[in-house]
Amino acid sequence: MAKLNLLNKIFNAGPLILLYYLSISEVDTNLEKMFEIFTFNLPIIIIYFWILKKPSIMSTGHIFVAGLINDVVMGFPLGISSLSYLVVCFFSNYVRNKSVNTTIASDWFTFFLALLFANTIFFSLLNNFSDIAISLSKIGYNTFFTLFLFPIFWLFFSLYQSNFIGGQDA
Amino acid sequence: MSVSRDDFSIAFRSALLQRGGAQKFSILSLIILAIFIFFLDVYGFTIIKTARSVINDVVFRISYLASSPSRILPNASKGLTSHFNLKKENEKLKQVIKNYKSLNLNLEYLTNENKNLRKVLDAENIINTENIINSKNIVLAKVLIDKNSPFLKSIIINKGTKSGVKKGMPVTQDNFLIGRVVETNHFSSRVLLLTDLNSRIPVSLGPDSTQAILTGSATTNPKLEYLPEEYTSENDITVFASGKDGIFIPGTPIGKTINDSGKKINEVKLFVDPNQLSFVTVNLILINKEKF
Repeated sequence: MAKLNLLNKIFNAGPLILLYYLSISEVDTNLEKMFEIFTFNLPIIIIYFWILKKPSIMSTGHIFVAGLINDVVMGFPLGISSLSYLVVCFFSNYVRNKSVNTTIASDWFTFFLALLFANTIFFSLLNNFSDIAISLSKIGYNTFFTLFLFPIFWLFFSLYQSNFIGGQDA
Repeated sequence: MSVSRDDFSIAFRSALLQRGGAQKFSILSLIILAIFIFFLDVYGFTIIKTARSVINDVVFRISYLASSPSRILPNASKGLTSHFNLKKENEKLKQVIKNYKSLNLNLEYLTNENKNLRKVLDAENIINTENIINSKNIVLAKVLIDKNSPFLKSIIINKGTKSGVKKGMPVTQDNFLIGRVVETNHFSSRVLLLTDLNSRIPVSLGPDSTQAILTGSATTNPKLEYLPEEYTSENDITVFASGKDGIFIPGTPIGKTINDSGKKINEVKLFVDPNQLSFVTVNLILINKEKF
């Protein structure tokens, strides 16, 4: 019984561990080496999905810290990734409060709004307040591919949830 | 109508302020905190700078450890193959050393000739060649993290202010320029690569020392900008750092031009692939600007 409990805890912590690992490690979702414009933002998909489906396993405090770590590793001003993650978090929370049951299509649409808003804040803060210049086209490609790949990860995470974690939070 | 507005405001407020269960903090408080930290960092408050430097050192070390599985696995197969080819490689290396020795002799001759010519021109004070060659002014550093960000092209090295590394110092590999130090911590530093969008370097190229600016374009090859209007671009011309900015050592090789006439863009193929860096050298010299 205790062993089962421990396993459950590990499975529940899976998405959070993945989020931290992506923030801190060199393993990233930037596949430019294979295809010049192919980059996507997996942490945002993870945050959006799990706050929507099971907020009990992804605390906002952890999301904030993961954002700070990501800033340190990437060399961005501190707090900017946290801010964009929290904006996604807010959208996801709002959608969860407003809807009883969601489908992949409705999630995809609301994710598009969240992503657009988060990346706009990220880009405008960075371009207006820091010395770092980033290319608008890069952000555009990143947004497009993140949006494009969302359904795939939605299915993958749904499978993970139904097999290892259990139903949606009330 | 008023019911739906109430619904909206309740859901909105709840999304921003809700706490309880796993959520120890409300999203609003964390958003305010993130904005506060961002502005403190951007406007360079000393407390944040010091804190960031400490956090950087710790996080870079952890990140290096966390990334080691992804580094070890691909290298393991390579290691096995190279182990079996060791003898062959040894013979090849002996041959390479022979070649280098002969090149070294040539280099010595050219250095002496160069020194004599400088004496003739009375321009010795422009740069002290011996200073560059002096190994005391060079620090070998290991690349800790080369997270291939879609937005920033930089690497983290394991040498910081403790080893004498300062902001602005040029970083090379095999004497080819790869970038400059943009952020220093006690035990680590961040190097901005030539391919980054924020990188601007004065360069000279061609037999008549044409001046230009090498600009990172966030792609594999940086571009040459501000070339003279009458300049006709050619392929395969070596690009050197001109040292006009007082940061880079004049004459440090960078890459060769590749000219795609269809695109009308003068790109430079770097001698060093920025995605394949494992050890680099930091030149601990900050050259002053030329005085006229």
